Amino acid sequence: MNLRSPRPKRFWAQPWFWAWAVTLFVFPLIWVGGLVTTHDAGMAVPDWPGTYGYNLFLYPLSTWLYGPFDLFIEHGHRLLGSFVGLLTIGLCIVAWRNDTRGWYRWACLGLLLAVIGQGLLGGFRVVLDARTIAMLHGCGGPLVFAYATFLALAASNDWMRADQTIEPRGLRRLATALLVFAVVQLVLGAQLRHALPDLPPTGFMSLVHLHLTMAGLLTLVILALAWWVRRLPYRLHQPLRGPANALLGVLFLQLGLGIATWVVNYALPWTEVSPSLARYAIQAKGYWESLIVTGHQATGSLMIAMSVWMVCRVARRQAQLVANSHSYTISERQVVAAGAK
Amino acid sequence: MFSSPQIILFPGFVNAKYRSMKAVDVAKLPGAQGSLARSTTLGRFIEQYCAYAILACCAFAGCGRTEFPFRPNELHAASLVRESGDMDPKPVAADAAKVVEAWFGTPDAPKWPSDLVPEDTTIVVMEEVARCAGAVGRAEDEIERGLFRKHCVVCHGITGDGYGPAASLLAPYPRDFRRGSFKFKSTPVGYKPTREDLRKTLTHGIPGTSMPSFQALNQSPEFAEDIDSLIEYVRFLSIRGEVERRLISKAVREGMALDTKEPEAQQIAISVIQRWKDSEGSSAAIPEPPSLSDSEMAESIRRGRDWYANELTACVKCHGPEGRGDGPSQDYDEWTKDWTVLAGIDPKHPSEWKEMKPFGALKPVLDRPRNFTWKSFRGGGEAKDLFQRLVVGIEGTPMPPIARAEGGNPGLTDDQIWDLVHYVLSVEDDS
Repeated sequence: MNLRSPRPKRFWAQPWFWAWAVTLFVFPLIWVGGLVTTHDAGMAVPDWPGTYGYNLFLYPLSTWLYGPFDLFIEHGHRLLGSFVGLLTIGLCIVAWRNDTRGWYRWACLGLLLAVIGQGLLGGFRVVLDARTIAMLHGCGGPLVFAYATFLALAASNDWMRADQTIEPRGLRRLATALLVFAVVQLVLGAQLRHALPDLPPTGFMSLVHLHLTMAGLLTLVILALAWWVRRLPYRLHQPLRGPANALLGVLFLQLGLGIATWVVNYALPWTEVSPSLARYAIQAKGYWESLIVTGHQATGSLMIAMSVWMVCRVARRQAQLVANSHSYTISERQVVAAGAK
Repeated sequence: MFSSPQIILFPGFVNAKYRSMKAVDVAKLPGAQGSLARSTTLGRFIEQYCAYAILACCAFAGCGRTEFPFRPNELHAASLVRESGDMDPKPVAADAAKVVEAWFGTPDAPKWPSDLVPEDTTIVVMEEVARCAGAVGRAEDEIERGLFRKHCVVCHGITGDGYGPAASLLAPYPRDFRRGSFKFKSTPVGYKPTREDLRKTLTHGIPGTSMPSFQALNQSPEFAEDIDSLIEYVRFLSIRGEVERRLISKAVREGMALDTKEPEAQQIAISVIQRWKDSEGSSAAIPEPPSLSDSEMAESIRRGRDWYANELTACVKCHGPEGRGDGPSQDYDEWTKDWTVLAGIDPKHPSEWKEMKPFGALKPVLDRPRNFTWKSFRGGGEAKDLFQRLVVGIEGTPMPPIARAEGGNPGLTDDQIWDLVHYVLSVEDDS
């Protein structure tokens, strides 16, 4: 046994554990937040930070669990949000104690501020009863999720050991563009979800067209990324395949959910083209309808997180290349030669 | 000392609207006593300054705006003044909107014109209207409010004018309640729908359209009364809208002054309200479907086919010889003709109808007759539903009521109408 080697820390003392814990709990938080919007339950509890005069954590369990559904999800959203806040505090403490990277510590603190900011936005959405703040809150959630994903990735083994290099052939730019498009798409989706009652039909239609255009653009970018990763010289870079495949999967899921979301909300404008569509009656607030609409929103957040994953994997390897000019670079010729062997 | 689970650790911020409405009730809550009483200086500081900070950040987006007015009926005014040419429709519409606001209130604070007609629950239950009005949410009494904005506003619009944000993307367009006409009802043309008619539409939805079924609300004890409330609000919006519409018509055509004290204006409001009162209980009687053997049914269908092709019913004109909805006569509904044909505008010519776009017009779309081979009937697919469609028609559309042989009047007997129903239900896609 090498007594000079540092004593392995327990898993709960590692930043990666807390960063992943935050990330994994932010995703259900986004789901519940989406359900709150789907059921228009944002004002189910009219006060904040308390719940009907009670302290948030002391609201009677039976009233919460067996009370009205909108109150159940709104109060549940608040509780889950508080729990994520506590986890983020844990991440900050562990990062400051055990991570030697200064920027990472500050980034963790930044996440805590972002989580607090989200909580404040949620609170003021209630206190001011303002749908635009609800929209900002709805956009902020996925961004916090993306941020937490970044911190989890930055604490991962891949980040620490990424010593392979990638030639800057535009992959990084494409991955970054994907991230930007995904965020813009999210904002457009949030505008549609939180449309004000007096938004003129022309405004709504423009938003829908923009949302569709951006969906087309995202599809093209993800397909291009997936194709690019599979061709030389990136074929040998196993770590890039994970995010590329995940993005493809999320894309197809999201496209299907997007069409389904429109159908269960508004029906297709061409119902007269087939008997089954002509016979379909939308079920308002139905179980599957709620699940589809909320799922579309949550999968949008997942797409942003996957984009962050892709950007991290690519950028990290390019950063290594920049940091070490003598590092080994795979050229197309070498890859072809390796393939020939 | 604090007792059990009602301890308040943080000062609570209640939404200002509810705080002003329900401060007394909130104070009575066991936990809230602490919440309000211990609203500390720090709490007030945070509330005040964070609110200002957020408001400042969001001011550009107008996020503090929670109240939305009813939209004046400029389209109707524009269609009426089009002939005269030199008249601006907007001031007329705005004046009419002021009068109806004085009588019926705003989307956040609706009221009943009690000085014209005493409040009467057979017409509208204002308590339920109040539940549907305003922003979505629960106050301290835990009763949910803002049901219309929660369930309907994105299509039907805050005014119930069928001009909600999503309206232009839907086919058919959402209903404009302000004409006072409803398609699927049990009452004859010219009569208002009964509460049961509206309940049926809300409960079952309209297949093949964007109108959803709210059956899920019925199945949940906590939301079971929501449909009743929405029915009252639809009736309220329709009355309010029709009064506004008639005021505009009278003002443009006969120069009536748009003022709440104007006797003619008051009479218009009273007559619209009275028509809703008179329509309850005026449903057409629908007999039970006859019980037929297979051979009798085949014979009934054969007779029905003859009636279908008969000039008396004229079904073929719109629905086509095979019932595919491809007959030679294709027309627009009354909601569209109201501001196009009646205003001298050809709905087929974009250059003409687009001049009404600034006033809230949507692209005119043909009201396609049903294709019977698809078995999709918007007002209900049961035999009794179709019988009802035949005898009362579909108001506001080219589908007229069939003349019923009653009291010596010429027309179809009930048995002959059942034959027609059996035929319509039997139409299959032979291709």
